Order: sequence, then C-alpha cells, then structure tokens
Amino acid sequence: MEEVAILEATGITKTIDTGTHRVEILRGVDVVVPTGQFVAIMGASGSGKSTLLGLLAGLDTLTSGRIVIDGTDITGLDEDELALVRGRKIGFVFQSYQLIPTLTAEENVLLPHELAGGDPRQGLIRARELLTSVGLADRMDHYPVQLSGGEQQRVALARAFMTKPPMLMADEPTGNLDSVNGAHVLELLITLNRREGTTLILVTHDPRLASRADRIITLSDGLVTADELRNAKVSTPA
Amino acid sequence: MSLPLKTAGRIAWRETRASTAKFLFVVLAVAAGVGALSGVRGFSQSFRATLKEESRTIMAADLTARQFMPPSDEQVSRLNELAAQGVEHTLITETISMASSAMVPIDSEDATPALLSIKAVDPEKYPYYGEVKLDPPISLKEALAPDAIAVAQDVLLRIHVKVGDKLRLGTQQVRVSAVVLSEPDRMSGSMNVGLRAMMSREGFERTGLMQFGSRAAYRYLFRMNAKSPDVEYVRATLKSVLPAALVADFRESNPIITRGLDTSTTFLSLVSLIAMIVGALGVAMAMHAHLQQKMDNIAVMKSLGATSRDVIGIYTVQTLLLGLAGGVLGVAVGRAVQSAFPFLISKYFQLNVQMGWNAGAAFQGVVVGVLTTLLFTVPPLLSIRKVRPALILRRDMPEAKLPWNKRLRDAGPVIVSGVLILAGIGAVAGWLAESPKVGGYFAGGLTVSLILLAIVANVLLRGVRSFLKNPPLRIPMLIRQGLANLYRQGNQAQAILVAMGIGVMFTLTVYLVQHQLVGEIIQSAPPGMPNVFMIGITPDQVEPLRALLKEQKGIEAPPEFAPSVSVRIAAVNGVPLENRDMPGTGRRFRGSRSVMFAKEKPESLAITQGEWWKADETKPVLSIDEEAARNLVAKIGDTIDIEAAGRMVTAQVVATHRVQQMRVGAANEFVFNSPALEGFPATFYGGVRVKSEQVGALERSTYAKFPTITVINVVEALGIMQQVVDQVALVIRFLSGFAILAGAVILAASVAGTRFRRVKEVVILKTLGATRAAAGRIFSVEFLTLGIVAGVMGALLATVFSRLLLLRLLDAKFSFDPLATAVAVIATAVLAQASGWLAGFKILRQKPLEVLRDE
Repeated sequence: MEEVAILEATGITKTIDTGTHRVEILRGVDVVVPTGQFVAIMGASGSGKSTLLGLLAGLDTLTSGRIVIDGTDITGLDEDELALVRGRKIGFVFQSYQLIPTLTAEENVLLPHELAGGDPRQGLIRARELLTSVGLADRMDHYPVQLSGGEQQRVALARAFMTKPPMLMADEPTGNLDSVNGAHVLELLITLNRREGTTLILVTHDPRLASRADRIITLSDGLVTADELRNAKVSTPA
Repeated sequence: MSLPLKTAGRIAWRETRASTAKFLFVVLAVAAGVGALSGVRGFSQSFRATLKEESRTIMAADLTARQFMPPSDEQVSRLNELAAQGVEHTLITETISMASSAMVPIDSEDATPALLSIKAVDPEKYPYYGEVKLDPPISLKEALAPDAIAVAQDVLLRIHVKVGDKLRLGTQQVRVSAVVLSEPDRMSGSMNVGLRAMMSREGFERTGLMQFGSRAAYRYLFRMNAKSPDVEYVRATLKSVLPAALVADFRESNPIITRGLDTSTTFLSLVSLIAMIVGALGVAMAMHAHLQQKMDNIAVMKSLGATSRDVIGIYTVQTLLLGLAGGVLGVAVGRAVQSAFPFLISKYFQLNVQMGWNAGAAFQGVVVGVLTTLLFTVPPLLSIRKVRPALILRRDMPEAKLPWNKRLRDAGPVIVSGVLILAGIGAVAGWLAESPKVGGYFAGGLTVSLILLAIVANVLLRGVRSFLKNPPLRIPMLIRQGLANLYRQGNQAQAILVAMGIGVMFTLTVYLVQHQLVGEIIQSAPPGMPNVFMIGITPDQVEPLRALLKEQKGIEAPPEFAPSVSVRIAAVNGVPLENRDMPGTGRRFRGSRSVMFAKEKPESLAITQGEWWKADETKPVLSIDEEAARNLVAKIGDTIDIEAAGRMVTAQVVATHRVQQMRVGAANEFVFNSPALEGFPATFYGGVRVKSEQVGALERSTYAKFPTITVINVVEALGIMQQVVDQVALVIRFLSGFAILAGAVILAASVAGTRFRRVKEVVILKTLGATRAAAGRIFSVEFLTLGIVAGVMGALLATVFSRLLLLRLLDAKFSFDPLATAVAVIATAVLAQASGWLAGFKILRQKPLEVLRDE
C-alpha cells in the first residue's frame, strides 16, 4: 500500500569545509514522506537534524543527493527559484517565531500570500479566519512586541498555514515556550494540520512532542539510526 | 575606582575593530565636514601668505593712493615735495572707452566697437615692482610707444584685429604692439568693466579721451628708498595731501582684497561648519545605534562590576578615536578641496597661490572635528546610565511608559546636553569667525533650522505612518514593508531627513537666490527703461547726439540725458567731513562723488521734506536723498561745502527726496540747482531704449561720430556681472554639497547600523518565498522615500528661505522654480538610493538558512 510521496530525499550529504578541516554533518540520509504524514525528526544537539530540515526545505544547498518536493526536483534550483518553491509548497514554524517586527499580526499572516502574488481581499479573509482559529481575533492589529511569546507563536502558526501549503516544517516550535503555552501551541498545530490535511515535518528533541507523531526518525552523527511508525494513523489523512 | 584610561582605551579599541564597516561610514561623515573646513581655511591662509609675500608686487609699489578726481596743482606740488624726500611717484590713469578695428570701414559690421578698460602708465617708471609680461616679449617701453597700445588677448578676438593692426580709439588710430599676458597690479585696478588695454600716458593724452570731468580713476604708485622717511609718516602725509584717496601700503597688502578674503573665509568656514555638524550628527546617531546593540554588553559589564562612569569612559574614548580618525582623513580631503579652490576662482585672481601644507588649518580642522563629534555624542553616552544590569535577565521586555513627570526628569540630562551642544557650536563658530556675535547668530540660526527641519520631518513621518495605518486602498506588501522600515527601531529616519534636508536646503537656497537675482537683473530693463547707456558725453555733444539718435532705427523711447559733476563733499555746516561723527556708512561720503544739477524736479524723484527751488533761484541750493541725508547727518537748512578742481562752493539744503525709479546716471543722491555747479566741469550720461537687434548699428554710428563717447550695452555688462555672481555661488554650492554628502553617509551608516535586524528580516522573507528582487524592492522603497522626503523638505524650506531673502533682504522678486526643485528632489532620491544600497547590498545575499540558527 505505497502512498504518493510528497517528499523524496535520497543520498543526502552535507559537508562544511571550514578551511582548516572538513565537517561531515550529514553522511547519506534517505527520507521518503507520504502525503499527510506527521513526521518527527529527533536527535541530540549536533546530530544534524536542523541541517536536514534546512536542506529538505531548500534553505541550504546539498553537497550531494537529490530532493524532490511534491514532484519538483529542487536539487539544482537557484536561490530565487527555491524561494518560489518554498512560497508555494512549504509553511514554516520556528523556535523563535521569526515574525517581522514592523508588521502587525494580520500583516504577518498575510505576508506569504502577498509574496505569492495572491488576491489581497481573499487573503485578508483567510488571514482573519486563521487568526481567529488560533484565538487571536482581538489581537490582529498588534505588533509582535505587543504580543506574548505564546501569542507570537500562534501568529507564526497562522502564517504557516496561510497559503495552504502541502507541507509544513517546524523547528522546535515549543522550545521557547513554558509548558502551558507549549502544550496549547502544539494542540493548535496538530488541529490545524488535521484540518488542512498538511504533511508535517517537525524537528524536536522533546520526546513528549515526538510521541504525538505518526513516525519518528532519529538522527545520530549525520546518519538515520532509527525510523519507526508509531500508530495506525498513517493511512488516514483527514 | 574609575577605570584607568589605558584599559578603557584597550576595550574601546577592541570594540571599534569589531565593527569596522559601520564605523567606516561614521569616519567618512566626519571627514566630509573636516575636509570642507580645513580646505577653506587652508586655502585662505595660503592665499593670505601669498598676498603678504607679494604685496609689493600686487600693488606694483610700496604705497598706493587712489581717487576718482584728477589731482589739483597744489596736490601735485606737495607730492613733488615728497619726491624730494626720497618718495618717488608715478601716476596711473584708468578709464573706459570704446574702440574698434581701423582695418575696416567705420560703418561696416566688423567695426562694431567694444568697451576697453584703458590703463595709462609711464613705462619709464611703471611698475616699481613685478613685471609686465608681453607677447611678443618686447620691453614695456617699446610696447607702449606713443602711437601704440598693448591689449589683452580677448580684445583681439572681440574687435577682430591682430598684433600690428590699428584700432580707432578716441580721436586717434593706435597700433596694437603686443598682447599683455600678465600685469602685476591686475587685482588693484579700478575700472574692470571692459576688456583690458594699456597705453603710455603720452599716447593716452593724444587720444583726447580725458576731457575735464571724464569718469576716471587716478592711482599714484609710490616707491621709497633708503633715505625715505618711514612708511607711517609717508602714509600720514598722503592722507593729508589726498584726503579723498584710498591709501594702501605694502604691510597690509591690498585692503580690499584682504577684507574680501576675510569675509568670505568666515562665511565659507561657517558653511563648512554646517557640513561638519551634519557629520557629527551622523556620529551621534551611529553611536546611539551602536550603544543600542551593545545594551547586553553594557549590562554584562555592569553586572561584572563596571560603573556607569567606566562604561561612559570606554565609549567616550571610542568616540574620540572615531572623531580623530575622521579628522585626520578630513585633513587629507581638505588638501584636495584646497587644491580645487584656485580653479574655482581662477577667473578673478591670476595669482599663483603657493599651496603649502598648512599645519594651522589642519590642526584647527581636527580639533573642530573631534569637538563637534564629542558634543553630539553626549546624549547617547548619557543614556548609558539608564542601562540596568538586570536587563540581561529580561531582554525582550518592552519598557513601561513612565508618567510624564518622571519622563521630564529623565529628559533633564538630554536638555542640558542639548544646551551644551548649542553653546559648544556657538563657541566653535565664534572661534572660526573670530566674533562671538557671529557665533551666537550661527548657533541660533542653526537651531531654528534644525528644529524646523525636525518638525517637518516628524510631521511627514507621522503622515506616512497614519497613511500606513489607515490606507485609503490596499498598498502592496512590498511598499508597505518598505515604508514600515522607516519606523524600525534604531532606524534614524528623522535624523537622516534632517541631515540631508539641511544640505539640500542650503545648496538649493544658494542656487535659487543666485538665479532669481541674476534673472531679475537681466530682465530688469522693463519696457521704457534704457537698455543702452552712454557715458563721457561733453555738454556740447548733448544736442548733436540727441539729433543723431533721432535718426537711428529701432529707438523705442526718446533718449534721456543727465548731467554729472565729480565733486568732493568737504564740509557740512562748515565742519570738515573728517571731523564729523557719522554713522558707519557715512564714511563713504569722504571720497569724491558724482552729483547732478537740474532746473526742474526730475520725475523720478519725490520730495519727502522741504520744497524744490524755483527755476529762477540764483543762490546755490540742493536737495539730498533722504537716506544720504541721514548718513551724512544733514538736515534742511544746513550748508554743504563742495569742492572740485580747486574751487569751493557752499550750498544750502532746501529739500530731501526719495528716488522712485532708477534713472540714467544714478548721480541723484545730491541734486543742485544749476547756479551751484556753474563753471564746474560736467559730463553727461545718456540712456536710450533701442531694439536689441539695432544695438550694434547704434554703437557703430555713435562711435563713428563721437569716438570719445562710451556706449554700454546693458545686456553685455550684465553678462559680466552674472559671471561674478555665478562664480561666488559655485564656491558656496561646492561646500554646502559636503553637507548633503555627510547626510548620505549618515544614511549608509544607519543602514549598516541596523544590519542585523535587516538580515534577519530578509532571511524570514526569503524563507516565506520572497525572491531577492522582492526583498530588494522593499529596501528601494525605503531609501527612495527617505530621499524624496528629504529632498521635498529641503526644497520646501529652500523655497521659503530664498523667498524671504529675496523679498525682505534683497528687495528682489521671487518666483517658484519648479525645474530646480524637481532636480533637487530627484537628485536627493538618487543619492539616498545609492548610499543606502552601498551599505545594504550585502544584506540581500544572506542565505535563508540563517533563520534556523537561533539568535
């Protein structure tokens, strides 16, 4: 029962040449993610999990290997072409929110939509709806500095789903939050993910977070050391 | 215990080294100001040194005395007495006259005459110092044979003759013997309106140009020898022998030139100081942004036990280092500016200025640079005291807004430092101008301008912001984000606007005033007013000339003639002018001046007090211009003694008048009745309005019949005047341009200072799918807006200021100049775009991966 793969990465290596010595961060990683799956990538600090996420999202260039996202081979694309792929296919949530400080919550959410050249009027309706669903209906005109960490991360969540990307990438999304806010954000992330039918790739070193995933890939020293399916939800995308 | 200076210096140096790129711009901003300043003063001092060194050459004598009347017999005999004591002299007469080529028939097109400034010298004696360079290189005596004339190169071009050809001059034909390449006393000349020519006194007399009463300057050159009495005695003697003359000696070089040099040095120094202040403003802003970024460091340092004083010490040393670096670089820039000066003023001073390395000016530049930099960094440095060590624990916390009384208390040091800065600037300006008063005016004027600019900048920025908040229609995200960037924390939008604005304002004001003024002068021959003037008309030529003009084509209004008599005002109410106490400008009446006579009141005059005389009045009476009366402290009923050619007449003031419209001659400050001036040598001025295409024909026919009458084409004369004004304005614009440059550098510094935040945002945008071009457009919108707003603001204030200047101070008209304004705004926008990108282009290249690296 092979599903359609939204992400196919084969033979990924990443080597950094610092001039004095070479560091092999990833030493041959293969990952295939079927549509709708919730994958957690785990590993200790320095295991290469964030680097892998960066490569999968086309934020950095491979040393060798090949990555296909939703049918598009991004391996040889230049910077601007990569940006366009990201804009259409991938939503992002980061540990430190990464909102634009000079834009309001609403404008931050609208940003990917406008960058993709979408219709502003329709975008605005969706942005407001998303903000409402993360519980920020009364905070739309606030600037990031006027929001708490949990609220900022919820804005970031809304922004990630704005363009209905087929795939969402999250890097320690609750890392900067206390346990109450962290749990709230995680619930929202999973709820929205179900509702929008998005494939979710999440990097974390928090086992409790990972326990919610369909599949856990563990990295160690630049190699995949474990890849386990957690439960039966695999084949039931909402 | 305070930190030892050495330790503070070491820490400061480490920090400076770590932020080279950011501080490079700061150093450049200071260098622009110091460069302008030390360039001006370096040039001025070199120029002055040259003047002093060559003062005898510049005067061609040890002493000179210049007046506008021929010496009386008594004066001549007393000068001869002085010669017997070892002070020999020679007389130079300078006048203007028409001349044309004698190689073609007098009525041909090629015979159109040109105006010459003729200098008649005694080639046996002249010059006492220096030499006249001629081409071909013959001796001056040979070149100035009685039938010959030596001329400047442009005479040959204008009159279409060559060396060896003959000119018609006065009643004679003279041979062009040589081209004058240089003459030592070129700058001391009096009659510089025409093309230059030189003759011997003998040849000059033959031309018949000098009739009694003709307009001329008489300059005596004196040479002393070992037996002569000392220069002070000679000077005093000359003053008593020639009371109407301007006496100068070699010790002071030429008083007119040095006075002019002093005034322009002061003025240009202050212009440069503005560039300097704009540069210092940049340092303050960069320091402010720098300290904001260093908040953590400061908090860490404080929690490790450093006091506020220690930290302030470290950053003060850093500021000093930056100011010093800027100053030293500025001195190098100043050297270049200094070399540009002779080129800018070359038309007027054919003096070989020895461009020495001027340590004094360099030192002054560096000191002013460091001082101004320090002054402006006081407020950001003081803010260090407010950094609490606890900041390190709760960084992203927004600061709570304090109640107004607490905020006011916090503002105390800022207000104090503001006053300190103003006082400091005033002191520096006063020092440069050598006048505390000028310093005060400068600081005051600058404050008003800065406050005005800051208010306008603030209003405009607020306007843009409220527009952003409630846009009438949805603006595209890129533009919105570009505009929002202006309000970024640490972005110095307001200061950039003020800095660039003041530069634009200054440059454009100078340009507008210059153009409006010149434009007005050129157009100010309104219909009916004469556009051709004739001078040197003898009384018996008036009627024949009137008849001749009647026959001319293209005459639009009947010619006007006004008499002029050159007299010296000797006394008021019997008290000699030398002994009278008169307000500042009253002193100008001590020389000789032109007066006129009239039977009936000319239409151009309006009586303000008293009554005009009856036509048959035989007693000598006069009417004085009301302002002249005020300066001379003379009122109705007073008597005025006038003297000319050794004769003295006493006339009574019966009226005062005001000039309603300028008329021919302009000798209407003193109007006598004819009996008062009977027997004095008079000359007439004529004015006529003629179609411009007929001016040449009029010049030719007048010249053919009356070769001694000089015809001045107003349009042509105004051209010369325009050149002078243009040259002066060019120098000022050149220097005020440095202020704009400093403003642009500040923009670059501000971009460099907010680099980290910008990088972060570009990275987020790229992650969310923005291309480099899209991210770049955001920056472009930001820089363009800054440039346009600064340009509009500067242009707005320049328009207001030049309007004020022209209408209130210069009594001229003002009209809006859309082209210059548009050019100023566009140029500023382009400059802002360029300097912003210069500092920002690297930011766009940042890889989006950064987004994953946490802080």
